[in-house]
Formats: sequence, C-alpha cells, structure tokens
Amino acid sequence: MEVGQMQRRLVDYTKSLFMEGFLDAQFLQLQQLQDESNPDFVVEVVSLFFDDSEKLLNDLTMALDQPNVDFKKVDAHVHQLKGSSSSIGAQRVKNACIAFRSFCEEQNIDATLRCLQQVKQEYYLVKNKLETMLRLEQQIVAAGGSIPMIELGF
Amino acid sequence: MLIIQTKSLFLFHLYISQLWLLFFNTMNPSNGNGSMSTASSSGAWDGRDQFPAGLRVLVVDDDPTCLMIFEKMLKACLYQVTKCNKAETALSVLREHKNEFDIVISDVHMPDMDGFELLKHITSEMDLPVILISADARKQVVMEGVTYGACDYLIKPVRIETLKNIWQHVVRKKARNTV
Repeated sequence: MEVGQMQRRLVDYTKSLFMEGFLDAQFLQLQQLQDESNPDFVVEVVSLFFDDSEKLLNDLTMALDQPNVDFKKVDAHVHQLKGSSSSIGAQRVKNACIAFRSFCEEQNIDATLRCLQQVKQEYYLVKNKLETMLRLEQQIVAAGGSIPMIELGF
Repeated sequence: MLIIQTKSLFLFHLYISQLWLLFFNTMNPSNGNGSMSTASSSGAWDGRDQFPAGLRVLVVDDDPTCLMIFEKMLKACLYQVTKCNKAETALSVLREHKNEFDIVISDVHMPDMDGFELLKHITSEMDLPVILISADARKQVVMEGVTYGACDYLIKPVRIETLKNIWQHVVRKKARNTV
C-alpha cells in the first residue's frame, strides 16, 4: 500500500473514533502538543495511560471482591481513572466512570460490579482502537510519510 | 535662500523636539532609575519582554498520565516546570527553594496529603498563588477549595489555552501585595 493510501486510511479511521465517541477533543490537544522535539509524545502518554489504567482496573477488581467493600477506596480509584481518561480524551471510558461514581455513592454493590464490567469493556475497546491507530501511524512513518493532522468540523 | 530657510527650520524643529524630550523625562523619571513601584524583588519575570515565558511552575498530581500531560502543556506555554507526584514532596521542595517558584498547580484528590492540605500549608507558610485541579466538579468541593484560598479551581481535562492564562494569578497577587 502506498503512503497516500495509508494516510487516507488513517484519517478515516481516526475520524471514525471521534464520530463513535471513543475519543473527544482532548485527544486533539495531545496531538497538537506533539512536535519535532517530542515526536513520540502521543505514544508515550497513551502507553502510560494503558499501564496506569490496568493497575487501576486490577485494584478496582480486588476492592470490589472484598467481603466488606470499602466504597471510599473504590470511589478514589474510579475518580483517578476518570481524571486520566478525560485527560487523554478517552470519552467513553470517562463516561463509564461518571456512572460508576454515582453508584459508589449509593454503595450499591451489584450496580458497581456492573459498572466495573462496563468500564473494563470501554477501556479494552479504546485500547484496541488506539493501538490500531498508532500502528497505522508507525507504518506511514516507516514508509517515509508524515502523519496527517485531523481537522474536525464540530 | 530657500536652503538656508529649510535648514534653520530643521534646526528649529530639532531644538523643539529636544526640549520636549527633556520635558518628558522630567515628568517620568522611570527610565532605568528603578524608582517605579514594581512589586517583586526576586521574581524571575520582572518586566522582562518574554514574560510570561519562564514562569516558574510547580505541578503536583499523583496520576502519572495527567502529570505527563500537564508538564508537556506547561512547557509548550514556555513555562519552567517542576513536577511532583506527592504533595509531601512538593511541600519540602517549596520550603527548601523559597522564592524560586511563581505558582503552584495541584490536583485535589491525592493519597497521603491532598490538595486542600497542601493549599493550607502553602497559604500559611508562603505567599504563592495556588491553582487546584480536579476531575471532581461538585460545587461543594470547588467551594471548599476557593474558600481555603485557591486562586482558581480548574476541572479536568484542562486545555492548554487555560494554562496560557495562569500568569494572571501571579500578577494579580503581586499587585495586591504592593497595595
């Protein structure tokens, strides 16, 4: 596949992530921060987010698995995940966290377990999408092309 | 004849403009004499042309993703950035390096010491503006932060455009201090 084709595929793919709500405008902020002095910024931040989130999801799973659930602790973890997901623009993960927090406040164990599943699902979805997108970018760069900037019309 | 007239007109104008400059300088004795009332003594940004570039920011957040993004954004604003992932560390840095920071940005919810406690220490021990940041937008939490003396409370996700304006808090505080 030649570079132009790859670039068009990347643009279409990235646009679909925004259209489907996986990513929001905050992700564009990150892309705009990337420059020649720091050409891997987005990859680095996204990788950090993945590592951090997986720890948080493990902690959440353990916390909800206790006989006496400490909802304050659960809430603290969800709050952190909400903060980091919103900071990188992972909109659906952020929204799942918002719902999660309201059930933590109610101390509703069944609902919070369902929320955990929901958050995990959204997380793995966006992880998969971002990895695909970053792989496409790498292929373009390896072929000598440049990453096209996405212009969004909303 | 014409030439002589033009020359003398020129000289006349020169004379008048010199008088004016003399007059102007007498009324405004500030050019390099240091008698203007700038507030800061040791601030790194004293009226330099590049301000707010070089603004010395300490950013505190226990979340590594957010901390990395803040650092990048603040650097893109041309600020001088120091980052901490613990409030305790931030406090000792501030205590050991007094007068080496212009502003502190801190997350609210952190284990061990949280942003509110850090804010209280800073407002009682030193004269630095503190901005609180959180994903928590609940009114009572924001109210608490502002009541305890935060000069601003930002909700995550923070955009770089917002960080470009934080220098206003530094100027405002210094202006209030000189009154």
